[in-house]
Amino acid sequence: MIEDNKDQKNRKPAVPYDEDNYTHNIRKDNERKLDRRSFMKMMVGAAGVFAVSTLPWGAIAAKHLAAGDKRTYPKNKITALSDIPVGEAVEFAYPGEHDSALLVRLEEGTFKAYQNACTHLKCPVFWSKEEGELVCPCHHGLFDVHTGKPVAGPPKRPLPEIELAVERGTVYATGVKRYEA
Amino acid sequence: MKRSYYGVIFLSLVLLACIVFTQQVVNAFFYEQYVKVLVFAVLNILMFPLAFWIYRKERNVD
Ligand code: FES
Repeated sequence: MIEDNKDQKNRKPAVPYDEDNYTHNIRKDNERKLDRRSFMKMMVGAAGVFAVSTLPWGAIAAKHLAAGDKRTYPKNKITALSDIPVGEAVEFAYPGEHDSALLVRLEEGTFKAYQNACTHLKCPVFWSKEEGELVCPCHHGLFDVHTGKPVAGPPKRPLPEIELAVERGTVYATGVKRYEA
Repeated sequence: MKRSYYGVIFLSLVLLACIVFTQQVVNAFFYEQYVKVLVFAVLNILMFPLAFWIYRKERNVD
C-alpha cells in the first residue's frame, strides 16, 4: 500500500484524466464501501433483521391463539404457614420449574405472590422488608407489593400476580392472574 | 453536486417503524394480547419488502 502511494506521487497525472467518473483520487481499499448505496443496503438489512426477530414472538402468539384461551394451572404447594413468618418471603417456582416466583406474607392472613422476573430485563426481584417493597437489584426498579405495579425505576409493566389459596396450614399456588390492560 | 437523500430518509422512517412495531409486539406479548402481537409482527415483516422496494427505486439515483 505504501509503495503504491510513492509510485503515484512520482507519476505525473495526465490532464485531463482519462476517466470520467472522477474517482482517480480514491485509492484506499474499500474507500467506496460506505457510500450512500451501501448504506441503504445496510438499512434494508437492518429492516430484515427486525422482521426476522419478530417471527418467534408471532409464532408463539399464533400457537397460544390456536390453543384457545383456556389455560389451566396446576395447584402447587408453596410452603407451610409455619415456615413463613409475617413480613418474610419465600421463593418458589410457578407454573414451570423455571418461572421463579416470590411469596410475601404481609400480615397474618395476607399473602401476595408474584412471578419475580423483573419486567425490565428479567433480573430476580426480591422482597425488601426494610423498604416494604419489591426491589430489583439490577437497575433499582421498585414494585408495589400490594399490586405488583412498578413504582420506580425502569420497569413499566407490573409483575404477574399468582393466585393463592391457604388450606389447612399450607399455602398453594392455583394460577397466574391475567394482565388486564 | 446535488444528490438525493430521499432513499436514506425513507429507509430511516422504515427503520423507525420497525423499532416501534417490535416494541409493540413485545409489549402486546407480555400483556397476552396475541392478536395484537400478530398484527404488529406482520406489519414488521412487511417493512422488509417495503425497504427493499425503496432501495431498488433509489439506488441508481444520484
Ligand atoms: S432488570 Fe429490573 S430494573 Fe432492570
